[in-house]
Amino acid sequence: MSADALLSLRGISKHFGRLAVLRGVDLDLQRGEIVGLIGANGAGKSTLLSIIAGLLPSSRGTRTFDGSAEGAGSRTERARFAVVSHTAQTYPRLTATENLELFARLRVQAGVASEPVGTSLERLGLGYAADRQAGTFSRGMLQRLALARALLGRPEMLLLDEPFTALDRPGRALLASVLDEERTRGSAVLLISHDLEALVSVADRIVLLEGGVIAGSVGRGDTADGFAEGVRDLAGKMPAVGAAEAHA
Amino acid sequence: MRDATLTLSGARRGPRATTNLGMVALRQAWLLAVNDLRQEARDLELVLTASFFTLVVLIMLGMSFSALGVSAQPLAVPGMLWLSVAFVGALTLSRIFNREREFDTLRAMLVAPVERVSIYLAKAFVTLVILLGCCCITVPGLALLFPAAQPFAERPLETVALVVMGCTAYAGVGTLFAAGLASSSGKNVLLSVILYPLTMPSLLFALVATRSLLEGHASFTTYLGQLTATNVLAFVVGAWLFEPVLVGVPQQRSARRASRRRR
Repeated sequence: MSADALLSLRGISKHFGRLAVLRGVDLDLQRGEIVGLIGANGAGKSTLLSIIAGLLPSSRGTRTFDGSAEGAGSRTERARFAVVSHTAQTYPRLTATENLELFARLRVQAGVASEPVGTSLERLGLGYAADRQAGTFSRGMLQRLALARALLGRPEMLLLDEPFTALDRPGRALLASVLDEERTRGSAVLLISHDLEALVSVADRIVLLEGGVIAGSVGRGDTADGFAEGVRDLAGKMPAVGAAEAHA
Repeated sequence: MRDATLTLSGARRGPRATTNLGMVALRQAWLLAVNDLRQEARDLELVLTASFFTLVVLIMLGMSFSALGVSAQPLAVPGMLWLSVAFVGALTLSRIFNREREFDTLRAMLVAPVERVSIYLAKAFVTLVILLGCCCITVPGLALLFPAAQPFAERPLETVALVVMGCTAYAGVGTLFAAGLASSSGKNVLLSVILYPLTMPSLLFALVATRSLLEGHASFTTYLGQLTATNVLAFVVGAWLFEPVLVGVPQQRSARRASRRRR
């Protein structure tokens, strides 16, 4: 395990009954690093993310966060994590402000830091829609609202599942700049996406999850042909459509 | 834009912030319950469904048992009251996690620094509010339709205590199973299969207490005490089991067990 890794996974396996989804994943995430996770449908990316977030116990292996293997899923650890799923997870009847205020107040009641709601909304370009109900938002706006909620607590570890989905070009640029700011602040970011172009633009390293293990990895400066070419080669190792589900 | 930063600016560690687990859980539960009630006030989904269902049940009970002799009514009225609570309760519980299920907000809650027991307490509270709202229709309705139910009007304090205690136990047990269904996208039919046997003791206590209230027995307070004890038991078990039901055995606990095994 890397000594200064914020998150370290060793031999993480996950079985659902007789179905083995993960078969011994080893992965380190450093502070100030953005790691992209790619893999075919059914490769176990979201399962891995749930295990990292403490939502799902692993069947085997060790998950260490900031040197401790025993805090997974605890309230203290959750205060340092943020997860953005591919669904927006917002209440449609509440306004953008109310959606964020709820989580900000919950954080404050738990005695942990929270950004002012207005600042978070402005940061994600939603200040103008603060008093509109989330149910009237477009998919892209909902995605940005979910990100604003995740960033309320200035998380040390940011887990994003398909964050580029539904974002238009300016939205993608905004997300890239927000992720860059988070990297500069020292957050570790794990990003699941099928959008290689978007991943190449923001990630420092991209890893391929295949057959339940990390099957390959490429970092900036690792290949003579350039990062984008290295990522394309890595993605080329992915199985044909449906093969991962069939394998699982 | 309303100044959203006003309430939270400078609250990086708010003055009311506390590390006391119980207080944190209660304050978070209150926030979650207010949030649920605010949404309910906007779409009235549960309130309207439960109220109309209660009215239909009441009208059907009134039409079916209107010819019942006054001597038999004290035996029948408690059953009518708590059967309608059981029906409306099952309807409410099957929908209490609907917003979370439909918009996946439960997951957002589970990854936030929110005590899981707060979610349980908030949902149980909202269920209780809906049930009590329905009882505000059922109890006066029964008192109007059946002469033997007049003690409901004559002894309002005892009636309120009885209804609150009976509904609280039902909400305490029911919320636990509603959470199980919400987390596992389970079949709603399971709710009824599991819910009714488990709420039976509290409903039976409530039934017996109601009968003693209607007949003016001194044993009413004893039954009410037993019902209160059932409530405490329901909430202790509910709060204890809620997290495992919702997310499985917490990971830190499994990690501790694994490390003990390794040693």
